[in-house]
Amino acid sequence: MTAQRYHALRLSWRGLRRDLRAGDVRALFLALVLAVAAATMIGFFLDRLERGLTRQAGQLLGGDLVLEQSRPFDAALRQTLEEAGLALSDQVDMVSMVSHGEAFQPVSVKAVDDAYPHYGVSRVDRGTGSEALPSGPGRGTAWVAPRLALLLDLEAGDRLRVGRAELEVGGIIEREADPSAGFGSFNPRLMMHVDDLPATGLVQPGSRIEYEILAAGPAEAVAELEPLLERLRRDGVEVRDVRRDRPRLGSALARADRYLSLAGLAAVLLAGVAVAMATRRYVERHLDTAALLRCFGASQRTLVRLFALQLLWLALAASLLGALLGLAGQAALLALLTALMPVELPPPGLAPLWLGVLTALAVLGGFAGPTLLRLRRVSALKVLRRELDPLPPSAWLVVGMAAAVFAALLWLYSGDPGLSLALLVGGGLALLALWSLGGALLALLLRLCARLPPRGGEGAWQALRLGGRQLARRRSTSLGQLLAFAVAFFAMAMIALVRGDLLGAWQAQLPEDTPNHFAINIQPGERAAFEEALVGATEARSALYPMVRGRLTAIDGRPPRQAVPEEARGDNALRRELNLTWRETLPEGNRLVAGEWFAARPSAARQGWFSAVEADGRRPPVPISLENGLAERLGLALGDTLTFRIGSDSVVGEVTSLRDLDWDSFRPNFYVIFPPGVLERFGHSYITAFHLDDGNRQTLRRLVNDFPAVTLLDVEAILARVREVLTQVTRAVELVLGFVLLAGISVLYAALTASLPVRAHEAGLLRVFGAGNRLLSRVQGAEFALLGLASGLLAALLAELAVAGLYWGWLDLPPRVHWGLWAWLPLGGALTVGVIGHLLSRGLRRQAPAASLGLLGET
Amino acid sequence: MESGERSLTILSDLALEVFPGESLAILGQSGAGKSTLLGLLAGLDAPSGGELELFGEPLGHLDEDGRAGLRAGRVGFVFQNFQLLPTLTALENVLLPLELVPHGDAESRAREWLARVGLGERLGHLPKQLSGGEQQRVALARAFVIGAELVFADEPTGNLDPATGERIIDTLFALNREAGTTLVLVTHDHALARRCDRCLELVGGRLEPIVGEEAGA
Repeated sequence: MTAQRYHALRLSWRGLRRDLRAGDVRALFLALVLAVAAATMIGFFLDRLERGLTRQAGQLLGGDLVLEQSRPFDAALRQTLEEAGLALSDQVDMVSMVSHGEAFQPVSVKAVDDAYPHYGVSRVDRGTGSEALPSGPGRGTAWVAPRLALLLDLEAGDRLRVGRAELEVGGIIEREADPSAGFGSFNPRLMMHVDDLPATGLVQPGSRIEYEILAAGPAEAVAELEPLLERLRRDGVEVRDVRRDRPRLGSALARADRYLSLAGLAAVLLAGVAVAMATRRYVERHLDTAALLRCFGASQRTLVRLFALQLLWLALAASLLGALLGLAGQAALLALLTALMPVELPPPGLAPLWLGVLTALAVLGGFAGPTLLRLRRVSALKVLRRELDPLPPSAWLVVGMAAAVFAALLWLYSGDPGLSLALLVGGGLALLALWSLGGALLALLLRLCARLPPRGGEGAWQALRLGGRQLARRRSTSLGQLLAFAVAFFAMAMIALVRGDLLGAWQAQLPEDTPNHFAINIQPGERAAFEEALVGATEARSALYPMVRGRLTAIDGRPPRQAVPEEARGDNALRRELNLTWRETLPEGNRLVAGEWFAARPSAARQGWFSAVEADGRRPPVPISLENGLAERLGLALGDTLTFRIGSDSVVGEVTSLRDLDWDSFRPNFYVIFPPGVLERFGHSYITAFHLDDGNRQTLRRLVNDFPAVTLLDVEAILARVREVLTQVTRAVELVLGFVLLAGISVLYAALTASLPVRAHEAGLLRVFGAGNRLLSRVQGAEFALLGLASGLLAALLAELAVAGLYWGWLDLPPRVHWGLWAWLPLGGALTVGVIGHLLSRGLRRQAPAASLGLLGET
Repeated sequence: MESGERSLTILSDLALEVFPGESLAILGQSGAGKSTLLGLLAGLDAPSGGELELFGEPLGHLDEDGRAGLRAGRVGFVFQNFQLLPTLTALENVLLPLELVPHGDAESRAREWLARVGLGERLGHLPKQLSGGEQQRVALARAFVIGAELVFADEPTGNLDPATGERIIDTLFALNREAGTTLVLVTHDHALARRCDRCLELVGGRLEPIVGEEAGA
């Protein structure tokens, strides 16, 4: 390093240290620290939380990647997976009959190896109370579900027969480590060791067995395997991974992820606004320094280098402190959450740190850059003629540069260039609208203030009138502050609103009485009795749906695999039998998105389709209603015909309506619904879902006894796990909201600090003219409150529009009007700005007028 | 020299030479163009016509950076409104021009000059903690600390009461004598102007010598 460069570094460092005495530099520093802290905290946290939550989702699934097929997997595939860095566990699922004494019961067998489970623990009662076990049953033993214990009258230590082998009941399973695996099976669970399978003799050619490889490892490893997985899908292997196959967890995670990124961005945007406000004051204060230095012989280059280095020091110091704060923040947050997280989170990586430093530099460059360039253009003559300030940069340049940088950050955080561009354009238009709207609003408020009745004394009216006049006097500054506050309130409100609606939507999805039991295999003859048994036991239950199993064999007359898009060829709907139902009315929780429901075509629904055989003996297609997601996946539209094989017969349906439905509702849901009069002649059973409180075990026992053929499935464990995930995410969301609020306050701080000298001057003048402390305090309070009120109104408008756009485009929630917002945002704004402004300007009111008036001379 | 959107002639037909070591006063009423002339002489501004030289260097072909380079380390300034930076202490204000180029002993020199203007005990004080006279003394130390060959003073007593102004001027001339500096002083105060070697008055944009009693001395 040359001596000159070293000198420049030292000089700039010294300059910065001296500068810290000024409020604007402190505000600038604070804003940068907050921007970095927000970016790194959310970066670190998201990074770890996401990895942790994905792992927990993996726990539900049994691994990060699950492969399933009806024959054993070959060693080569196993080797490929292991070489990719995945740990493997083998599992075999089948339905079999077990017996204890004279009693027999079909069970859903899950045979696991020593590597089971990849994640989490099973809760098992081995006769000594509930225990958490990080393994499966040992060789020679079996764990049984409570229902099986109930049906076969089993206790720990009893022996039961599985095929030709005899196993000891090692424990009663309260919760499986991977509770959702085998959810598709309707029989009670029996878990055993995979090494005991040969002895049972159950594995025979032709037996219905599912072989699974559960693989655990980093997401990148799974992602790299995608081409292989695609090939496996085409070969008929069922491939599941955490993101694709858990719609609830997937969507909750995706939303939480987006929300946190959004909140992080809001914090950075706010910090950016604070930086812009503080920079303005910083530059104004340094115009004199720059002019003096020009006088002393400094070149333009020296000046630029000096100030740029000075700000670089500031950015580096802020990055360091901000990153430390971010690190501490995420650690504190995780400490709060670890109790809720059954999985241990991976340690923080370094990537978010760089993101933080990058954020600081980008925010400084983007939000402060154009304003700083003003320092370059200072003329030395300014020392003689004060009015010779260089023109402020064009507002377009400042806003444009800030917007471009913000959009780039948006892109970086969200990875979505389309969204970034849309927000950039939308934001620009919104700002333009805000500028004129803000001006009009300010004018209106000031006019109203001017018309206040001139009552004597130091009353509130007088304070309002004077406060309004002060605002009017520095119209452009007031407008700038108004917009800064509006943007701050807007960002805070938006993050709060989205949080409320997001959590509301989650809670609405899983209300207290969400069905936690499914009953299937209800025979037509038992239907009425079963319904009656439920009526007295629980209010929260779904209708009984008839269910017929049918396989999709043709789409518009062609084999399905040929008719659907290439990526849908491995779709489960094409490989398995679908559950079909019939119904007169649209089921609860379903929304029609295209076409007409059957009721609107009375002739169709009521005639009985099998009587309407056309002259040539061919049946006309039956109208059917299709789930929209399936239609999209398979590329189906209204008017397409689907052929289903049911037993030995075929039914042709024409898609006449598409439905959206909530797969996460824990209610019976159907891809395909027929009108009444078509499927009745096929063998069918009924399905329903209902909620039973924990204490209502008796009802369950009665149902098991009275309807032995009916299969009851307890999904409480899955429900509890999903709720747990949502609770964690909720906490995270709330903490991040707190951070956004902090960033918003930094804007207020920066803006108010920047305006202090002018306010001090005004206060000094009023003091000189005889205003008392009380009046001064009221006038300043009124001024701040008016600013807060107006910015609150603007922010409400902006937030309402932006949130509607976000829901529609990004978060996948239905838009709605938030009436409360229009009340609490203006009032809250008035109160917040009023109180903070009042506190910050307390010092000014204590100053003697001479000192206050002198302050202005220092600018 | 012209200024503004509509052409306004401020100074015209001027010929002035300032010699090394001399002290020159430029007198004039408020608005006569004294500060404009000072700005031109110091190279803070460029004339719309004519030729200017500073230390024998023609300023005409130099841009603002070139003119600044010519001033660096050679020209000191004293302003009517002191022009001290409010967030810098007295010592830091004096250090400012020294810091532009690496000086090993910058701080000790600044301390020494502050001591010479009688502020050795007030090094750490901010401008707002100093009186007007004290602030102007800091400004004097700042002007001379670089070992200036030429000092421009623009109404140095304009913001001070007569007694304080008198003391400041005494200090200014004392320092000027000790350092053998060339001094160009702009003022409307005839008494002050009379303390200089030479006096010129700016009238209607032209410089006229002050003769006879008016020049005094």
